[in-house]
Amino acid sequence: MNGQKSSPWTPALAGGAAAGILSGIPFVNCLCCLWIIGGGILAAYLYGKNTPAVLTSGDGAIVGAFAGVIAAVVDSMISIPFQAINAGFLKRIFDRLADYGDALPSGWETWFVRGPFSIAWFFLGLLISAAIFAAFGALGGILGIALFGKKPAVPPTAPPQPPQSAPPAPPLP
Amino acid sequence: MDDRDSLRTLYLMTLVGGLVWLGAIVLAPYARSRSSPVFPFLYACFSPVCHQIPARSFRLFGFPLAVCARCLGIYTGTFGGLVIYPCRRRFERVRLPSLRLFLTVSAPIVLDTAGNALKLWNTANGPRFILGFIWGLLLPFYFLTGLGELVLRRKKR
Repeated sequence: MNGQKSSPWTPALAGGAAAGILSGIPFVNCLCCLWIIGGGILAAYLYGKNTPAVLTSGDGAIVGAFAGVIAAVVDSMISIPFQAINAGFLKRIFDRLADYGDALPSGWETWFVRGPFSIAWFFLGLLISAAIFAAFGALGGILGIALFGKKPAVPPTAPPQPPQSAPPAPPLP
Repeated sequence: MDDRDSLRTLYLMTLVGGLVWLGAIVLAPYARSRSSPVFPFLYACFSPVCHQIPARSFRLFGFPLAVCARCLGIYTGTFGGLVIYPCRRRFERVRLPSLRLFLTVSAPIVLDTAGNALKLWNTANGPRFILGFIWGLLLPFYFLTGLGELVLRRKKR
């Protein structure tokens, strides 16, 4: 019996925030796209937990896609301060590598020259991230339903009827 | 447009999207080898979903691909799964594959990723690619099934 479905936004917010934070932090983001898929799985799990209805894979795709978009926003916001740190860290590594050999491509120093922060590029990057994360999040949401989704209740089978016995014979006159 | 046509359209759009995605991964190092101004943009498109560490990436045209070996395996496997999808599903069923199959196929890549993250071992790029490829093969059977169910449900409204 299907009940009402609750709003997918709260589970999407939780899954998306977790995925976005983990994707944005340096060193922790080494799991690539798996954080976003994991955020979708988490969103689907929470959605299923809060909803009495049996959710379908399409519901998982929706809540996962929402989680992916939220993850893109959170990741973009978190990455702003970390970008400078990442660039500085990598430049120090490349400075060390340059001491040991000349295998680095020429002009590598220019990779770390960063221009001023651009609002236009930030929003373009956010748009592209949102589209990509939505797709990965949808996949995670579908996987989450496969892993944690409730199965439809099987209606109870009626007990077998006892065999009908023949009516008693009338008494002899 | 009947249900099968809707699922077929969804499938073709996903197939084209997968082709464009893989194409961009290969195009990035080619553009870089030609000093094209678009190569930073191509690499940047994949930076949200991959660490892009050069030592963990295959190289083409003298430069690392836009994603690491594991990610390349996942995306190549996903494309392979898309190619064989019509042979297995024929745009008829919208039922997810079994949970046991998913857990069995996921176990190797999960164990390998955990082992590398915990510094228990360091897997070479080749095995990373293969484990990603195997896992990627299964993903379209979830992705297309879920989206297909959503498309058909909205059609019925």
